[in-house]
Amino acid sequence: MDAYEFLERKGIEIGDKIKIDSLTGILMPKSEFSEKDVIVIKLENGYNIGLKFNEKMNVELLKKKSTKIKNKLEKEIPDPNKPTVSILACGGTIASKVEYETGAVYPSFSPEEIIEAFPEIKEIANIRARKLFDLFSEDMQPEHWKIIAREVAKEIESGVDGVVLMHGTDTMHYTSAALSFMLQNLPVPVVLVGAQRSSDRPSSDNQINLVSAILFAAKGDVAEVVVCMHENLNDNYCSIHRGTKVRKMHTSRRDAFKSINISPLARVNYFEKSIEYLREDYIKRDKKRKLSLDLQIDPNVGIFYFHPGAKPEVLEEMSKYYDGLIIASTGLGHIAVNIKNDELGKSFLPVIEKIIKSGKPIVFASQTIFGRLNLNVYSTGRILEKVGVIGNGCDWTIETALVKLMFVLGHTKNLEEVKNMMLTNIANEISYSIEE
Amino acid sequence: MSSYFGLKVGLELHFQLDTERKLFCNCLTTMKGKNPIKIVVRKLHPVQSELGEIDRAAQFEYLRNRTFYYEVFKNECCLVELDEEPPHEPNEEALKIALQIAKLFNCKIPDEIYVMRKIVIDGSNTSGFQRTMIVGFDGYFDFEGKKIPITQISLEEDSAAIDKEENGKVYYKLNRLGIPLVEIDTGILEGFMPKEIEEIAYQIFLLASSTRKIRKNIGAIRQDVNVSIEGGARVEIKGVQKLSLISKVIEKEIERQLLLIKEGKKVEKETRAAKEDGTSIYMRPLPGSERMYPETDIKPIKTEIYLKNLEIPEPLTKIIERYKKEYKLNDQLVKSLLKSKYFFLFDEIMKRFKIDGSVVANILSSVIKDLERKENIDFDLEEEKIFEFFKALEEQKIFKEAAYEILKEMYFNRNLTIDQIVEKLNLKPLSEGEILKIIEETKKEVKDSEKLYSIVLSKVRGRANIQEVIKILNSKNRQHEF
Repeated sequence: MDAYEFLERKGIEIGDKIKIDSLTGILMPKSEFSEKDVIVIKLENGYNIGLKFNEKMNVELLKKKSTKIKNKLEKEIPDPNKPTVSILACGGTIASKVEYETGAVYPSFSPEEIIEAFPEIKEIANIRARKLFDLFSEDMQPEHWKIIAREVAKEIESGVDGVVLMHGTDTMHYTSAALSFMLQNLPVPVVLVGAQRSSDRPSSDNQINLVSAILFAAKGDVAEVVVCMHENLNDNYCSIHRGTKVRKMHTSRRDAFKSINISPLARVNYFEKSIEYLREDYIKRDKKRKLSLDLQIDPNVGIFYFHPGAKPEVLEEMSKYYDGLIIASTGLGHIAVNIKNDELGKSFLPVIEKIIKSGKPIVFASQTIFGRLNLNVYSTGRILEKVGVIGNGCDWTIETALVKLMFVLGHTKNLEEVKNMMLTNIANEISYSIEE
Repeated sequence: MSSYFGLKVGLELHFQLDTERKLFCNCLTTMKGKNPIKIVVRKLHPVQSELGEIDRAAQFEYLRNRTFYYEVFKNECCLVELDEEPPHEPNEEALKIALQIAKLFNCKIPDEIYVMRKIVIDGSNTSGFQRTMIVGFDGYFDFEGKKIPITQISLEEDSAAIDKEENGKVYYKLNRLGIPLVEIDTGILEGFMPKEIEEIAYQIFLLASSTRKIRKNIGAIRQDVNVSIEGGARVEIKGVQKLSLISKVIEKEIERQLLLIKEGKKVEKETRAAKEDGTSIYMRPLPGSERMYPETDIKPIKTEIYLKNLEIPEPLTKIIERYKKEYKLNDQLVKSLLKSKYFFLFDEIMKRFKIDGSVVANILSSVIKDLERKENIDFDLEEEKIFEFFKALEEQKIFKEAAYEILKEMYFNRNLTIDQIVEKLNLKPLSEGEILKIIEETKKEVKDSEKLYSIVLSKVRGRANIQEVIKILNSKNRQHEF
């Protein structure tokens, strides 16, 4: 029998203080990697150990678990002289509480809890906060973007000076791109923020990121969708990235988010609580501007990642599931077309032509991440351009291209219109000059 | 009072393990870095918990004014130390050594080891917590017929060492962070004199050293000593750097508490920092129970697989018996050899070279101890050099009477070969002819035959085998008689 079941029959549950042979401690839930017959005990000095349990062991219930009464936090009274920022939580725990007695980590979402965690926020702005949903960012779907956009619009229409979105980091750049297309004509900043290091640790980047995001939402001059994350490994600056030009570039570093092909729009000095602008080509804050919300998107877009050995049949099969495809191409915008008729070669050209002829767009974005597509330089590019792939001259990331194609296909399925819309800047997703 | 002022002591001994790599990443444990390749600036902030508001506010205030500067060293630090990458799987070598130690102390071993995060906000850990795990509990070892309780043995990551502090800017060296560290905790030791407690600490060190994987350099061994006396209170003295300071630290703490009691003052429960002279200074009130929660980035470690193939090193007690029997060392010599850092080398030297055991033991213990005391050095000659010395001794290129001078020279001039040292110190072995010449010359000055022996022997000291010289003298005498 499972050890925990056996104990439960004896009236012992997780959280109870027990004596097991010579050891005294609290019965803890076991890890998902634990053996079946192992129970986990938190000893009185705080350590957990796992012990193989057998029914001959002498178990004694010392104390039932105590139900903690949460201390009520005082309601914050807004200061009319301070800007107001709405915080919407979509997931990822940017604030949490640790119960050391049991080792449990609880996420915090209410404005009072957030202010309790980071009291310096009070000096910056009045806070409203609510939870939209609690999702790992990899579980975020295009449908969620619509919910977020609608809720952000509601907050903005209620007159706040900025909106902060707490978001898991893995797909934050997809969401930021999607919101950039859906929330047009923004009067105030919409700032996405996350944390790379868990919020239960004293070294988490959550505080600096969140405080900087709130500062930028309250006082920043950029009325666009932006991402606010650590600028480097130091806990001093956060970068403000344009929502369509940002990408997660590292699995774990706190400065994982980087602007691609442009510089960040601004940086926040956490120590000084000040903002420094790095570009001039941004949309300025104007509370009188009327937001336009556009939620039409078609989530049926896929990405085909080309590589040596890739099979044209797979691309063809994929096209059956989607209304349009992004091809993550090599270099300036290439995929095998076997111009030189090599006997080992393969050509994607027939499949690409077939898909486009069937009325489905194919959009290129480069695997190189940095740089602009140019289909004019090599004959492969010129052939692909001729059959109608979209993207020549664009410098979008694969992710932004994907989200944009979803947005565009939400508005039209006409291939010519799709091409025109794709090549027209909607939210500065195409930069006209790459400075570095 | 039956015992010494009702003295109760608890020891927490920390030993760095001599592994090549760190506990949770692949960085080297060399700590050779002199100039940092970069400095990373960090803040820590209090994490919310069930703590009372006052404690939290205090933490907040403490951290608000502190910025941490982390010095990064090449090959000795990576993203893990910078808290920019999750920990890797625990170092298997370190785990094995820690489990060996737990076994040597007769501990029970958890079936699954859980790595915990112990909150530490002084900046010495970039993450704000120290990773630590229990590898053994409920153990003991024998000390002069008594069972000394070992409550717990844990394996943890060493913290970053403080470099300097100026105006709230605290500089830490990141190369020590993550070096595997074993902590051995005793139960309450009652009825012992401070000197005996120091001896117990020393025995713990020795038993752990049976693994041959305990670092002995300065700073690699640190201990915390909990002291209380009747009418006083429990005081924790942290960071005692040498085992040989323990009795002094205890004595000084007893004195301090007695003085407070005499003056009618209350002895507060507190944490104090040990100073080099054995006295201590106030650090902070004694903290409550540790704030710990699980390290979710590391899976529980199943010990069964480790224990199946774990070799338990020969415990020192057994080695001592063997040394006595095999090499005919007497009790006193073994005892003094035990204190030598070259204790384990003894075996190897005996296997490699044909030299009398007591001669080797005497050199490794008394001669080196003398040298350390007189020259005020930490004698740390590499093993290879020690072998070189005994090889020369075996080959009669040098003689035991000159061991002190030669080892001293080897310590201070490490690039010199034995031959060069012998040359430099004028200790070239004498040929039989030279010995005879010395005898003849001495005879001209000294008529008394007993005096003759001692003068000749002092003249050839360190340059010849004494037994052989005596033989020659004896035969000379006989010749003379005939």
